[in-house]
Amino acid sequence: MMIIAQIILTIFLPLLMIGIIRKLKALFQNRTGPNLFQPYFNLFKLLKKNQVISQDSSFVFIISPIISLGLVIFLSFLLPWLPFNKAVFESNIFLVVYLLALLRFLTIISAIDTGSPFSSFSTSKEVTFAVLLEPAVILSFLALAIFYKNTNLFYIFSSNQTVTLNQIPVFILFAMSLFLTSIVEFSRAPVDDPNTHLELTMIHEAMILENSGLNLAIVEYTYSLKLLLFLFLMSSALAHCLLIWWHLSVFAMTCLTVFIVFLLLILLSFIEVFTVKLSFNKIPNFIAYALTFSFLAVFSAIVNRS
Amino acid sequence: MTINHVNIQIENLGNELKKLLKQPNKRLGLLTSIDGSQLITLVLNTDSHSVDVINSDLLDKNSYSSLSASIPQAHWFERTLYEMFGVFPKHHPRLKSVIFNDSNNLILPPLANKTIIRDVNQVDTSFINIEAENVYIVPVGPVHAGIIEPGHFRITCVGETIINLEIRLGFLHRGVEKQMTKIPYAKTSYLASSIASDTSIANSLANAIAIEQLLNIDVSERTLYLRTLALELERLSMHINDLSGMCTDIAYSALAMELARLRGIVFNMADNLTGSRYFRYFIGPGGVRKDCDKNLIVIKKLLKELKNKLFKILFHILNNFSFTQRLDNIGKLSRSLANDFNMVGVVARASGIQYDTRSIFNQGIYPQGIFKIAKENNGDVLGRTKVRIVEIFNSFEILENVLDNIKSGDAKVDLNHKLSPNSFGVGIVESFRGELIHLIVTDNSGFIKRYSIKDPSFNNWTGLAIACRNNLLSDFPICNKSFGLSYSGHDL
Repeated sequence: MMIIAQIILTIFLPLLMIGIIRKLKALFQNRTGPNLFQPYFNLFKLLKKNQVISQDSSFVFIISPIISLGLVIFLSFLLPWLPFNKAVFESNIFLVVYLLALLRFLTIISAIDTGSPFSSFSTSKEVTFAVLLEPAVILSFLALAIFYKNTNLFYIFSSNQTVTLNQIPVFILFAMSLFLTSIVEFSRAPVDDPNTHLELTMIHEAMILENSGLNLAIVEYTYSLKLLLFLFLMSSALAHCLLIWWHLSVFAMTCLTVFIVFLLLILLSFIEVFTVKLSFNKIPNFIAYALTFSFLAVFSAIVNRS
Repeated sequence: MTINHVNIQIENLGNELKKLLKQPNKRLGLLTSIDGSQLITLVLNTDSHSVDVINSDLLDKNSYSSLSASIPQAHWFERTLYEMFGVFPKHHPRLKSVIFNDSNNLILPPLANKTIIRDVNQVDTSFINIEAENVYIVPVGPVHAGIIEPGHFRITCVGETIINLEIRLGFLHRGVEKQMTKIPYAKTSYLASSIASDTSIANSLANAIAIEQLLNIDVSERTLYLRTLALELERLSMHINDLSGMCTDIAYSALAMELARLRGIVFNMADNLTGSRYFRYFIGPGGVRKDCDKNLIVIKKLLKELKNKLFKILFHILNNFSFTQRLDNIGKLSRSLANDFNMVGVVARASGIQYDTRSIFNQGIYPQGIFKIAKENNGDVLGRTKVRIVEIFNSFEILENVLDNIKSGDAKVDLNHKLSPNSFGVGIVESFRGELIHLIVTDNSGFIKRYSIKDPSFNNWTGLAIACRNNLLSDFPICNKSFGLSYSGHDL
């Protein structure tokens, strides 16, 4: 039963979330904005379209978005992003972190494969940021593992845990680090502008410039599902802190998690509308903030560990 | 405006011109030819509000010794001269193609009076090629990822730093200057109005001023007021548009959307004033084509509404630290380089050159002292943005003044059928980009023999190439936007 609910959410929620972000951004800009379900319409439109594949590309270009999608779906079973999802597979933080790295590797080789100068150009930027970002991701997950002396994420997030005041800073710092990380990871403002199509500044958009039709549909769905997982994980971490005061039922926890995700979406779109994009050489500084929060999470985990 | 005619021998032209341009009050306006057998140099005197037209006949067959080595302002003019007239400047530092980059179009110059076949070996359509380790070249355009005009940028980079930028234009060459000589003078105004859509008013105003000089007529005072109104509204509209584009490029979408929305109010004012939301065909020789008293009240109301909303946003921009920080110190163009390459308009004023043709040449009602010329000294992207903002404030002041003091009367004068023969008409207008010059030369029977147009972009494209050096590649779109240049105005 629970697993069916999870699968349904995995299928329908990601694109709705993208729709919500666009709608919120439009509202912040005094516009009416597109329909909430516009991303679904776009997806169906893309599915109906033909694919244009560069003659210079190999099978890697076609196959890597599909593998990426498979990996993200696999990831959705590895991460405790919903309060009710149960461990289908043995979940380990290192597995999660390196699956993310593998995912990025697939995106990169798919972008380089076409030989488009803009793709390879932004790929090199993406890799630069990825190298800086990876320690932040690893350390933030590691903080949780240190605190619980366990690398199983389902054990860490299980609601049967006795929750003490000590864990609050660890979870909050973990969520903050993850939020900053995901801004870079998902190429949102102020690091990259998802709306821009300026050849020389876009990072994420340039990497998927050559994709079209079904291929692009898969890439966009993968992107939104990954964003969904990250946001729900942050939200679960924050919701988990509240277990000290109230012991909530699974249903209430789910509602709370969804509500926190909505707040995070508001925050994300607010930042996107009201901040100026950073200069390219200032982005490492931004990543340094994420890394700082990860370090703080690790320190507080070490100090508060019972 | 008075026109002084001077004759200078072609071999002395370089020295004389260099001496002239050393003086602080002289500027090189235009360097062109009528039919390929002479050089016409326009020197603007900013102190005496007059124009010197220097005529130098070419003695040698279609060639002369180049001026660019001693007068850098002339380099782009000479390149165009060679393409359009086949006049070969000897020892030009780099005689690269400007308009005809396609090898099929290389040989025959379109504006020369006789068939001249250019030597294929002298025609250069190459790019500067820098070969070294870690140097790579990014070609951008002419088809861009957005709805903008075509232009090709070849950017040579080391890592993220631009070391050289070369700009290739000419994709929009439509033969405007030649077409102008083939149609009756009364119709040139319509063509002038559409050569660059965003400079519609300024172009038709420059055309009208030049034609009126050739007809020896004075326009009524009401006409001057209405023209000022239109010119300033166009400036307002385009400055808001440029600021909005600036915000889009740095992903500040909140302001970008708001400014784009407010620009709609300017369009409504334009609709009320000219009958067209894009200022089309409003100004013609002898007056304006539409005059409606009732609408001025509507314009006044809209102006007040716009002022309330816009000023709030502009002050917000000026006080927003993240905005100013992002634009500070990028795309720098030093004052001396801006002087050497004859920058005009917003770009010149941001680099500390106090030059605004509105205060020098008659083009409407601009009483001295009504506005202070906006000036910044840093010459960076922030400087150009600030100059635009101050000019918006100035435009509001001028518009309010004009609307308060507008005279009643006729806004149209009857025109003669013939232009005066063998004469020069010069129209100089400060468009929102800068100094715009229309030069009309008539033949024995009063027909237009040569119509030369110098868009401000013609000067400023070189400035962009210089300003981008040593900047980050990802900052190039911002630098480009801050110059806000026209492709169609340059290509003609």
